[in-house]
Amino acid sequence: MKKPFRLLSTPYIVWLVVLALIPIFVMLLLSVSITEGLDFSNYEFNSSFYQAFFERSIMTAFLNSIYYAVITTIVSLLLGYMVAYTVFRSKFKNKFLVLAVFILPMWSNLLLRTESLGNLMNENNLITNILSNLLNTTITFPVIKGSGLAVIIGLVLTYLPFMILPIYTALEKIDYSLEEAALDLGLTDFQKFVKVVLPLSLKGVATGSILVFLPAMSGFAIPEILGNGNILLIGNIIEQAFRYMDYNLGSLLSIMILLIIFLGIFVVSKVDKEGETLL
Amino acid sequence: MNQNVLIELSHVEKKFENEVIVKDLSLKIYENEFVTLLGPSGCGKTTTLRMIGGFEKPDQGQIIINGQIFNDLPPYARPINTVFQKYALFPHLNVFDNVAFGLKNKNRKYLLKFFNIDLSLSNKDQSLLIQKGIEKAVEESLALVKLTGLENRRITQMSGGQQQRVALARALINKPQILLLDEPLAALDLKLRQNMQYELKEMQRKLGITFIFVTHDQEEAMTMSDRIVVMKDGLIQQLDTPKQIYNEPVNRYVANFIGESNLIDGLYKKDKLVSFLGVDFECGPYPFKAGTPVDVVIRPEDFDVVTLEKAKLTGIVTSAIFKGVHNELDVLVGDYKLMVNTYETYNVGDTIGLSIDPYEIHLMPVTSYEETV
Repeated sequence: MKKPFRLLSTPYIVWLVVLALIPIFVMLLLSVSITEGLDFSNYEFNSSFYQAFFERSIMTAFLNSIYYAVITTIVSLLLGYMVAYTVFRSKFKNKFLVLAVFILPMWSNLLLRTESLGNLMNENNLITNILSNLLNTTITFPVIKGSGLAVIIGLVLTYLPFMILPIYTALEKIDYSLEEAALDLGLTDFQKFVKVVLPLSLKGVATGSILVFLPAMSGFAIPEILGNGNILLIGNIIEQAFRYMDYNLGSLLSIMILLIIFLGIFVVSKVDKEGETLL
Repeated sequence: MNQNVLIELSHVEKKFENEVIVKDLSLKIYENEFVTLLGPSGCGKTTTLRMIGGFEKPDQGQIIINGQIFNDLPPYARPINTVFQKYALFPHLNVFDNVAFGLKNKNRKYLLKFFNIDLSLSNKDQSLLIQKGIEKAVEESLALVKLTGLENRRITQMSGGQQQRVALARALINKPQILLLDEPLAALDLKLRQNMQYELKEMQRKLGITFIFVTHDQEEAMTMSDRIVVMKDGLIQQLDTPKQIYNEPVNRYVANFIGESNLIDGLYKKDKLVSFLGVDFECGPYPFKAGTPVDVVIRPEDFDVVTLEKAKLTGIVTSAIFKGVHNELDVLVGDYKLMVNTYETYNVGDTIGLSIDPYEIHLMPVTSYEETV
């Protein structure tokens, strides 16, 4: 780094150290200890900390997390690829504007959005009210809230943009002459897609999948609200642990999640060396 | 040369957003011919090539290949392959897979015919023979472009010249009737480019495939082509052998574009007599009426520097540049600065005499092209 500018990042570094690095170390310490909240007076090293992982509720939550994250990733991948490909093939002048419209939901508050989605998943909701009043009959929606489907809809809606953008960027990077070359060599349009376009967009697919998988696995607000407390993901267990002052368990599970996230970032950096699909 | 017409373009026109790129272009290309479309950028040469390849559709006119109208056929249905300007190799495949790409994606029926496989064999044997056939074909086409042994290289690990060769092999393996080349040598350095020119010409002769080559480099066109199509603003200016185009350009534009030349205003006084720079010269017979103004073309190397007594023109050397084989002189004769190439050395300020043999004087009708290239 050039010398004159090296101090510019200091404020953020201080911020990072105070609010991220130090807490992580505290969490590391807490996760292998037995304490009462943050009170270290009765400090004791917990030599069997790893046994928490074999607890049934935690195992289930972990498996739930992975299950929902995998499904969310697959659904987002299918929907996201179709959207990205459509925009890529379209003749809009300003394609990023079109994409911005697609990711518009991302700009509203996550909790508000999830709560309102939850409202629509009830038997009686805003829309049924309006419709019932207009048509003078009673209209009800099927109740989805509290089911796995509700959680998946919420997760997909929230994290789909993270899939669309990297795939779109990867598609946009494919040199058009490669497609012409494929046609020239006798491939039909469909063969061209399978043999040239799809393989060259896999980088974006990998990046997008990880960007969707990680938050879908570790989040807790969406399953909490849309799952009505029926569906516990690991994020919910962590949240509960901290709420009930079990800082040791909360820290331990958080560190686990952190490790998985680091692994994910590591994979992204391996797949996508230049960081090109991350915009 | 075989004189069967392979491709015919008949009154082809192409517009992009109301701008006419190719105007009423008619052209016949024969079997086993090396034809070059030559012209500056924006002259419509690449568009013409892309229409033949099927990447653009003509707005008017017809593209006829083997006697069939090909206007609306997609690229994959044409007996044509293309070498693209930036090679367009598939970065996710290695050299072998790039070269085999066309064949691997053909249907079985096509491949059985392509490799001449006995249809009475069992399916398994047929598949095996196809597999072997593709491997052998890749090997052969890599040998043709002198890349034997690089089958497993990644495209990104290759130099520009090597990528160029892979692109050639990838196109030639399909045994097309016509190979289109869109400025394929533009990105190579001079030495490599010259080598490739000879190799391309050699390949074309050996394989008997019609090559249609697009370039803006007149030297490249001269070296390789059987015939050159000089284009400007979407119009064919001249279509002829390199020699004819060099010696007998049809207008100022062609004369300027192909090689160096001196263009002088002249007057066709009577049969076999032309006057320019205030002197009468003998020349060949031309179908002009007596008293017609003409453009006179004299190539720099066609001037003979002679003693002042024998000279028809005398002038003062205003610049002398040593070019290795010859000296390039600028000679001021009256108001005209003539470019003269000579093996002798002269100094700036020398007065020299010039003469021209009658057959070195080429006359053209006066055209309105003002630009020089």
